[in-house]
Amino acid sequence: MKIIIVGAGEVGFHIASHLARENKDVVVIDKDPAAIRRVSDNIDVQVVIGSGSSPVVLKEAGIKEAEILLAVTDSDDTNLGACLVSDLISPSTKKLARIRHADYDEYHEAFREHAPHIDTLINPDIEVVKTIEMLMNVPGAVEVGEFADGRVIFVGIRLDKSARLVGIGLSEIFAKTGKQSPLIAAVVRDEELIIPRGNHKLEAEDLIYFISEKDKFRDSLSIFDKHVEPINRVLIVGGGGIGYRLAALLEKNSVYTKIIEKNSDRCIELAEKLNKAVVLHGDGSDQELLKVENIQDMGVVVTLTNDEETNIITSLLAKRMGAPKIITKISKFSYLPLMSMIGLEQVVSPRLSAINTILQHIRRGKVLSSRSIKDEQAEVMEAVALETSDIVGKPIKEISIPKGALVTGIIRNDTVIIPTGKSVIEPNDRIIIFAKKQAIPEVEKILAVKLEFF
Amino acid sequence: MRWSFILNIIGMLILFLGICMIFPLLFGLYYKDQSILPMVKSMVITIASGATLIICFRGVKVPYISHREGMTIVAIGWTAIGFFGAFPFYLGPEVETFVDAFFESVSGFTTTGSSILTDIEAVSKGLLFWRSFIQWLGGMGIIVLSVAILPFLGVGGMQLYKAEVPSPVPDKLKPRIRDTAKVLWKVYALFSLLQVFFLLVGGMDLYDALCHAFTTMPTGGFSTKNASIAHYDSIYIDSVIIFFMLVAGINFSLHYQFLRGKRLAFWRDSECRFFIGAVILLIVVVTFNVYGSVYETIGRAFRYSAFQVVSIVTTTGYATADYELWPAMSQVILILCMFLGASAGSTGGGMKCLRVMLYLKYCYKELFLLIHPRAIKHIKIGSVSVPEDVVRSVLGFMGLYVGLFAFSTVLIAAMGVDFITSLASVAATLGNIGPGLGMVGPVDNFALIPNLGKWVLIWCMLLGRLEIYTIIILFVPEFWRK
Repeated sequence: MKIIIVGAGEVGFHIASHLARENKDVVVIDKDPAAIRRVSDNIDVQVVIGSGSSPVVLKEAGIKEAEILLAVTDSDDTNLGACLVSDLISPSTKKLARIRHADYDEYHEAFREHAPHIDTLINPDIEVVKTIEMLMNVPGAVEVGEFADGRVIFVGIRLDKSARLVGIGLSEIFAKTGKQSPLIAAVVRDEELIIPRGNHKLEAEDLIYFISEKDKFRDSLSIFDKHVEPINRVLIVGGGGIGYRLAALLEKNSVYTKIIEKNSDRCIELAEKLNKAVVLHGDGSDQELLKVENIQDMGVVVTLTNDEETNIITSLLAKRMGAPKIITKISKFSYLPLMSMIGLEQVVSPRLSAINTILQHIRRGKVLSSRSIKDEQAEVMEAVALETSDIVGKPIKEISIPKGALVTGIIRNDTVIIPTGKSVIEPNDRIIIFAKKQAIPEVEKILAVKLEFF
Repeated sequence: MRWSFILNIIGMLILFLGICMIFPLLFGLYYKDQSILPMVKSMVITIASGATLIICFRGVKVPYISHREGMTIVAIGWTAIGFFGAFPFYLGPEVETFVDAFFESVSGFTTTGSSILTDIEAVSKGLLFWRSFIQWLGGMGIIVLSVAILPFLGVGGMQLYKAEVPSPVPDKLKPRIRDTAKVLWKVYALFSLLQVFFLLVGGMDLYDALCHAFTTMPTGGFSTKNASIAHYDSIYIDSVIIFFMLVAGINFSLHYQFLRGKRLAFWRDSECRFFIGAVILLIVVVTFNVYGSVYETIGRAFRYSAFQVVSIVTTTGYATADYELWPAMSQVILILCMFLGASAGSTGGGMKCLRVMLYLKYCYKELFLLIHPRAIKHIKIGSVSVPEDVVRSVLGFMGLYVGLFAFSTVLIAAMGVDFITSLASVAATLGNIGPGLGMVGPVDNFALIPNLGKWVLIWCMLLGRLEIYTIIILFVPEFWRK
């Protein structure tokens, strides 16, 4: 499978390295020789220097043989241009554009349906706001994802020292709590991700990833001694695109919201657009301002400015001043591994969201969604079990599931089944698979249609 | 530097080399000659050493190979391969000292073609096949071959590839390095087969045709005959070999493009135009220089000068005439050809046309800036500007090349070798050509060079094959600092 990526920025770079690891043929196009050099030095892909919206450059990169074009530069215009030009040269190539401006929100369908076609517009900001909303609702969650239209929740939580499950093996959870444990897909200890067995003992500070039905979610959380509490007050630092989207959403949900923005013109604009939210003009890292606005009484503080360092500093400041829950926006990938070290665990990244969304479109078989977790060490995928694929019609323990992968949920019509070895996957079930990155190509294979049916 | 990992990979290379010894062994068995026992012994030693390294350092899995580790693996790997490739020579009756065996082996792998054998035709067929075969392995690069066919290298293959095929402007023909390596080897093998076919048509027997194709395509130059190609004294064979030497001296990515249907690929590439233009010009000059003074007819003058010029400029090193009997001007031109070398991305050695072109353009730019001090001028290849750092690395390369040439020449001369021989032997080994002038001319060999001098020349051959940086970097203390 040949994939062309326009843009060698953080998003392009990480998607390229992800795909190269899975042995796909990748060509990366960028104008900036330094960015291209970083790609060609580190990733096994072909590179082309030039503008991604130029027909000559796209032809040189081999657009005609490409199955997918990903336009992921930081410029909406270049991305649109690249997709439109590609559609002229090679209509059969599937085209995805990363578009960030909110003005395009209503036109995603139009681009898909009218020529020249763009198959998918991806706006990471929308995904980020969704993630922030989910993180707000789950106490102690480091990562949250939804599958099966929100009926299944995938959560990563940090086990507290005081939790009763510390030192308990997975198979003893029922005996200890009297409740059916949710399926634990993975445990991260000392930055290393493992798929645990029944005799695996949990320890304090373990990061536990589990899958739960939405209805039973509160119960599942209580097993880990976490409790859902409603959020009524939120402070947003940074009134950019994401900040505004979030504020508008919270307003709709009748949450009391304050939003701090440095730029006075932007404040006026925000005040016009928002009705109930309090718009404050000032610097988020100004301690006096935070004190005056009673930061310690805020349910959640979200730092969303466009400056990484400001977000980090503001979050740390808020933490020291007693804010119970803090969500930080980070774009630079190299900062992500540092965040848990400095005590800021709830992190959102628009770029990571973009990558997650794009990946699900590239996956073979009928993968509905996928997201990578813990510095891309593993991925969770939701897929439709095709009638002709290898996984249907027999008990799970008889399927040759690749090492490092785990079927963590089966959704049949309206019921969610947490599978055991005896469960049988039926055609058109939706399944949720958890896979370490080494196992992903194999997982794709078993999900795909068997060849003789073509 | 993760040594256990590096040694593990080198173990695999050695094991792979050991397995390759099966081919000369088959020839030895077919001709029932004296090479069988030495070859079996060498194979056992090589495979056992490789396997020992792999077993001792197994289980080290690393997700990537760093730039430095890549260079270390390639540099040490090549030395090790030269070392183990020497055993069939050393254990056989034809070569006496280990230095000679090592020299012959490294001369083979680096596609130099300098030989210490005085009577080639007396050597057993099996060993002669090995001698040709190692040139073929070394030509496109034994590490490129490993990247292509061994799955273990994976992503790290890229660092190794870059260290073995150092080109001023790297080409990646396919998105993945493994596919690129495969494509290159396929093109290489295809041309080698074609040449075997054409040589068979010209009346060569299969054994000789194979051996000569295996030393033409890598621009190696080992022949199975004492008189080299002059032995056949056939215009047809001369022309076939001239053609394939030229093919081998052109960037292989152009061949790939040509085979993919881009008919104008050669013409559009400015380095290729430069290379072919230079070859034609030099042939004309040498033809007129030797016409009358050495050869009576213009036809004969053209035939021999064309072969010699192409043989030297592509750094192959076959001979159909003793150019030491030619006028001084022709000899000087041939020596200068040794420095020019073939195209970047070809199997040839020398400084490479692309570098020389960039260097000339750089010189012109300096002169231009003296005339127009405020001018902004880019150095371009075709219509594309060459980045400043590429130009800088080319200048560095030229400087190092000339510096190492001078240094090594002094070392050889210090051992009591005469002036011309010292110069020519270093130029011929550093450029991976083969024969030089004086004591090491086209009808002589390297047997008379003192033993210590052979070590210096072995070093030169490795430097030349891996284009200086990969080898010389190991001698820079900063490289080893943690």
